[in-house]
Amino acid sequence: MEAFLFWSCGALMVLGGVMMVLQRSAVVAALWLVFAFIAASGVFAVLHAPFLAIMQVLVYAGAIMVLFLFVIMMLQGPVMEGERKRMALPLWPAAAIPPLAVLVLVGAWVSQRTPEPLRTALPDGFGGPRDVAAALLGRYLLAFELISVVLLVAIVGALALGHGERKAS
Amino acid sequence: MDIVLESLAKIVFMFLLIMGMVPALIWAERKGAAFIQDRTGPNRASIAGIRLAGLVHPIADVLKLVFKEDIAPTHRHRALYNLAPWLVMTVAVSTYAVIPFGDYLELGGKRIPLVVADLQVGLLYVLAVASLGTYGVVLAGWAANNKFTFLGGIRATAQMISYEISMGLAVMGLMLIFGTLRLTDIVAGQGGLLFGFLPMWGVVLQPLGFVLFITAVYAETNRNPFDLPEGESEIVAGYHLEYSSLKFALFFMAEYCHMVVGAAMISALYFGGYQIPWLPRPRLEQNAGLLLVIMLAAIIAVSLWFAVLFLRRVQREKGKFGDARDREPVLGAGLWLVIAAAAAGAFLLRPWEIGPAGASVAATVFQVGAFVGKVVFFAWLFIWVRWTLPRFRYDQLMRLGWKVMLPLGLANLVVTALVLAAVGGGK
Repeated sequence: MEAFLFWSCGALMVLGGVMMVLQRSAVVAALWLVFAFIAASGVFAVLHAPFLAIMQVLVYAGAIMVLFLFVIMMLQGPVMEGERKRMALPLWPAAAIPPLAVLVLVGAWVSQRTPEPLRTALPDGFGGPRDVAAALLGRYLLAFELISVVLLVAIVGALALGHGERKAS
Repeated sequence: MDIVLESLAKIVFMFLLIMGMVPALIWAERKGAAFIQDRTGPNRASIAGIRLAGLVHPIADVLKLVFKEDIAPTHRHRALYNLAPWLVMTVAVSTYAVIPFGDYLELGGKRIPLVVADLQVGLLYVLAVASLGTYGVVLAGWAANNKFTFLGGIRATAQMISYEISMGLAVMGLMLIFGTLRLTDIVAGQGGLLFGFLPMWGVVLQPLGFVLFITAVYAETNRNPFDLPEGESEIVAGYHLEYSSLKFALFFMAEYCHMVVGAAMISALYFGGYQIPWLPRPRLEQNAGLLLVIMLAAIIAVSLWFAVLFLRRVQREKGKFGDARDREPVLGAGLWLVIAAAAAGAFLLRPWEIGPAGASVAATVFQVGAFVGKVVFFAWLFIWVRWTLPRFRYDQLMRLGWKVMLPLGLANLVVTALVLAAVGGGK
């Protein structure tokens, strides 16, 4: 069961990614990316990482992609009349579904047959917020703080670039 | 197999609770609005001439929405237009999975925890699902391909993103105090007493956090004073303008589901969930017989009082309308008399001689009742606020979210952490 869930979530994730690249409409592409994120959260959940699974949805699907959609819609505005035909879903990526299904079944079958010494070794509360916090704010504290500095630099940079352009125009 | 059955039973109970409360809330909203605005409210729909105080109106609404023609704009994005109402409704009902509605039910020597999914990260799950709720609204606004719906969708996105942050920050204080993200642990932790007399509810420990949380919940449900995504005086009806028939009904129902979810979250996080103050579980079980007798006596007294009120109306309004409406007070009096008789009949079962197994079940029933009562109160609070406060202007909304609530949330978090460090509490 676990193996089956793992492989189907993985396949759905790949499907979401492929569909995102193939879409012409930016809004629909963003939605396929959200789909891929939720599938990725499923993969984390099967791997006994509940905290990461929820964070994947909360941060990526719930916050970042909503902002993406917001920006796309603000720049694009509502769909125009003539654009309706172009947005029709291309059908040929559906050909990817049978190979993906085969991949799921084969993967589930193979991993069912391999012994999993890890499963019994998991302590209670594994992958919970306590473990993740202890790792991030203990062992990897420096890297964690440095990443936030990098993000801060990116924000300041984006602001500086945005303001500079406005003055020039 | 047992666990599947148990889970199914719990899911069905929760679902019925929500779906049962939706029409009741719609009725309460109309009658409440009428009461606050000093008018009668809905009283026209009737069954065989009997109006049942407007309770027939939700049924009439459902019939109307089911049989209405489903009109859709020609230039919509077909797939997303159909997806949006479904998404809104799914998100609205799936939050319930992690909210505990009781402690446990002991049946045949087995303890069944009264929560559908006891997630280790339950609190984050609620926030994650709430953040997904934005998609339904945004897609509805965009896919309908109309400038007004589009503006509604854009407003909803900006508003929900802004208030989600304050919501998360407000809840963080509770997480620090109880040292867990598991909702069952948070509710169980609110059972004790503070200084020996105050119930240790979240609202007592985190008053500022509670104010921030309830404000953010109101903003997330898109209800007045935060109903700018709908704003009927500015953008007609906002994101659901182009929906009709059952698709509109889904948006309509989702709003009330969100209200029930919000009320359940407020009572679980800040008002002790199923905990009854000063009556912890062991004391409930010891005094189950006495409490049952008191409860039955209270039911009899209250229903007799209502019956008397109706009987007086029967006398006063004899032949007032000259049609079936004259029988309404008689029906009301009869209904309350039947309830009083049923409660009196329950005394024949000798509730004061209840055994330990029965006492355990009775304690569970009391706790679930306490939870439902709190949810009903906070759902009513939503209605009360809606008909009392005017709508914000958009700049006021953004200023409140980013310049008032966000700094206050951060300050609350820092102060909570400092106090906990000084006291040496927390985990």
